[in-house]
Amino acid sequence: MKTITLTLKKFSSIALEFEELIPDTVYNWNKEDFENYQVPVGNSRFPLTNYFDIEVEGDAEGPEDVKMILEGDMGRVKYIGYRMTDGEIIVNGDADLQAGAEMIGGSLKINGNAESYVGREMRGGNIEVMGNVKEYCGTSYIGEWRGMSGGVIKVHGNAGKQLADCMSGGEIYIGGNCDILAGIHMTKGYIEIGGDVTRWPGGQMKNGTIVIKGKLSYLLEGFDPEGVFVDPEVDGKQLAGKYIKYKGDVGVNGKGSLWLDAEKNRNLL
Amino acid sequence: MVYEEPVTDYDHIVENCTCAFCGSNCDDLDYLVKGNHVVAVRHACRLGASKIMEDEDQRLKVPMMRDENGELQEVDWDTALDAAAELIANAVRPLFYGWSETSIECMKKGLELTEYVGAVIDNQATICHGPTVQAVQNVGYPLMSLGEVKNRADMVVYTGSNPMNAHPRHLARYSVFPRGWFRQRGRFDRTLVTWDPKFSDTAKMSDIWVPFEENGDYAFCNAIRAVLKGKELKEDVISGIPKQDIIDLTEAMKNVEFGALFFGLGLTHTLSKQRNIDIAIGLVQDLNAYTKWVLLPMRGHFNVNGFNIFMAYQMGFPYGVDFCRGYPRYMIGETTTVDLLNREEPDVFMVIAADPGAHFPGGANMHLANIPVIQIDIHWGPSTELADIVLPGTFIGVETAGTSYRMDSVPIHMKSAINPPETCREDEWIVNELYERVKKIKEEAK
Repeated sequence: MKTITLTLKKFSSIALEFEELIPDTVYNWNKEDFENYQVPVGNSRFPLTNYFDIEVEGDAEGPEDVKMILEGDMGRVKYIGYRMTDGEIIVNGDADLQAGAEMIGGSLKINGNAESYVGREMRGGNIEVMGNVKEYCGTSYIGEWRGMSGGVIKVHGNAGKQLADCMSGGEIYIGGNCDILAGIHMTKGYIEIGGDVTRWPGGQMKNGTIVIKGKLSYLLEGFDPEGVFVDPEVDGKQLAGKYIKYKGDVGVNGKGSLWLDAEKNRNLL
Repeated sequence: MVYEEPVTDYDHIVENCTCAFCGSNCDDLDYLVKGNHVVAVRHACRLGASKIMEDEDQRLKVPMMRDENGELQEVDWDTALDAAAELIANAVRPLFYGWSETSIECMKKGLELTEYVGAVIDNQATICHGPTVQAVQNVGYPLMSLGEVKNRADMVVYTGSNPMNAHPRHLARYSVFPRGWFRQRGRFDRTLVTWDPKFSDTAKMSDIWVPFEENGDYAFCNAIRAVLKGKELKEDVISGIPKQDIIDLTEAMKNVEFGALFFGLGLTHTLSKQRNIDIAIGLVQDLNAYTKWVLLPMRGHFNVNGFNIFMAYQMGFPYGVDFCRGYPRYMIGETTTVDLLNREEPDVFMVIAADPGAHFPGGANMHLANIPVIQIDIHWGPSTELADIVLPGTFIGVETAGTSYRMDSVPIHMKSAINPPETCREDEWIVNELYERVKKIKEEAK
């Protein structure tokens, strides 16, 4: 097992791009390799040692043996875990844009808040965010109609707007509240939101499942009620309590299912 | 309103000029010129005419730089260009913003410079119709030319825009009043509909006004789509509009021969942003199962659409294109101007033919006050107060010829009618000169 610890010593207001520093590329690097590495910053590259103290312990045969620990505020470190296929990355602080974007495997844990585009177009692996995420978590590239297609994202805090836009697979669990248009244009996959939702989940969804355990403020006209179910099994997951099931979005002939906690949404019964 | 006598004291008329104001790009203007000055404009609206005639008001005429006391002082062109090139060549995160009020020829030079230094290039779409462009990328673009609307449309819908104030000749020249091939009686052959929370000047003259509540656009369009699919609406009132009104409106929209939906920033900048446009496009697609419907954004500046078309054609992305890694990248919130400024990333900012000082949020302007700003423009404005180097350009469509794209993506040649002030330089020349000088600095450093 190889443990690589990067401790932030200088905060750069221009974001650092970390897509080259994933277990797949650094599993055979020693401390000297890190010290010689120049990290992309804006249109230039600067030594990684300008920004981080570096510690490397142990050896690895492949990316699966790598554990990277990023200590400090990574609020200006973009693309953490970008396209990683294996190994583990732990961020002990906040993470910037595109954390876990296009991730294929392995695990990424953020012990803080994350910016927008967490797990964008993710295909596999696990992302866990202990704080909140901003907009477009598990979404598609702008203009692309296929978003996250595999893997699991677990957010313990709140999620911003347009969660899992164009989602075509995988699972997302949000512990807190969620803003507008969760699962918009969704074609497949599973979204579970523990808290309240402001408006319009599942807009133009064609298929897939959204479960809301809190209160929903506005439901779209494109959803037809299909009845109330007790302790339903949804996508192989057992839900406890009474749920109202809706089918939609009718506007796009969608066959997606939206499950709302019946007790919290009594006004819709 | 005071009656003004027609202007008769002029030397000659330059016919068929193109207006350099809004995205309607009216190309039937006549300029009355006297002593190298446009003294009157025929056929233009008040907005266009005042911009063309009063171009000498607060005109930037000489290059300027800030001295040690922070005051702008006149300098010669070489000093200003060298200083600007030095800033650009040494920047780590340069950002070039604007471009919507200059020519495609100038943008071409700007793109060369951007690519060479690894900068971000962005235009006003980032604060206006950016969400439209994103939605178009997602779900398509059922657009038309304005000529088709003039000749065919029997229902015209304006939503989130007020063309009577912002695009004054749009209704008169393209959409509602003109007599077209199949609409020989002009206004009488057309139904004008406005969907807008406000009783705007356009709403006042409409046949149908649909005052949905603010931020209710997404749910309103969703309800129309559901009705089109034969669904009975659950709620009695949706987004502030009674159920029966939505059903009647949907029926009316289904039964026209040719419908055109025009939308403005009222749709792009409410709560669900690009998803409003996304669902409006979806709605137009659904309506095409019954009859012909098209849609078009009401673009603001005369060449804001030109920049998006030019960039999409050259680089594959419409705006907010980041070349910092040597290849083009585009991501909303990451490579777009206001987000970059709010994150305090850019270290040099060049603004050309735009006024961020007047239009950007306070946080973004605060960062502009802290970094070097190069301005290429023709008029003194709030951005000049933020600028460290000012390079005076020329007025496209009046002093310099160039190409622009109308809101329906029709390219239009803009004539020059008068000579620019001697001390000013064409935008294209300035940007090219910056490129040559930056290249020289970079090559010497190697």
